[in-house]
Amino acid sequence: MQGSEFDEAEFFRGIAASGARALLIGRRALVALGIPVLTADYDFWLHIDDIAAFNAAVEPHGLLPSRTPEEARNRGRYVLENDERVDVLVARTVPTVDGVRVAFDDVWSRRRGLDVAPAATLAVPHIDDLILTKRFGGRPKDLEDIRLLEALRKEDA
Amino acid sequence: MKPLVPPTPAALETVRALAERQLSPEEIRAALARPIGEAEEEESRALIGWFRRRYPTPAERLTYARRAYRRWRAALPTAVTPPPGAATADRLSHGR
Repeated sequence: MQGSEFDEAEFFRGIAASGARALLIGRRALVALGIPVLTADYDFWLHIDDIAAFNAAVEPHGLLPSRTPEEARNRGRYVLENDERVDVLVARTVPTVDGVRVAFDDVWSRRRGLDVAPAATLAVPHIDDLILTKRFGGRPKDLEDIRLLEALRKEDA
Repeated sequence: MKPLVPPTPAALETVRALAERQLSPEEIRAALARPIGEAEEEESRALIGWFRRRYPTPAERLTYARRAYRRWRAALPTAVTPPPGAATADRLSHGR
């Protein structure tokens, strides 16, 4: 991966300008909030109606979708990739491993905006919701991230 | 000082498989019910505090993360390639 060639600020600016309801989740969101963890790719949770707008926003970076919007809606996720990789979740609701149903609209309504560059505001879930998204996967490293997020929540209280 | 010997590809695969293992709902509930100990919380908050002081803005933190990932990749044995979708790997070794 040639990370230095990728203009991350422009990437986020394009997404913000597209109007797509896209939430940065996963470890990249933890980093943006202030938790130093290592991550290779970008994870977004996208409104199910905004796939085309999101794809158009990242297309200038050479990121190509693995599925058509219709296929992505049916499968609930897809990937955009070239030298970078963007995992996209597209579902109105997602259950956690332990059975809690999390609705995109609810999470979107509680989102935070982080300014990452001029004219580039990144939408991230409220920390409580970010913790819930970490329960979608239910892997040991997700649990580790949850504990860090809980420490962050106390730090910000 | 002994030179750092990088882990073998097989060792890395073993660690990766453990980290990517899908936990059962019971394991998740048990883990979430376990309170964070005082020492762990203190360590985590110190880590977060350092990171936020050193990199005060989200943009600086994101830039740091890309730089740290490149450094981590460069240190891996050449035969090892992180699997597609390996959004996460390890906590950063940030040299505090």
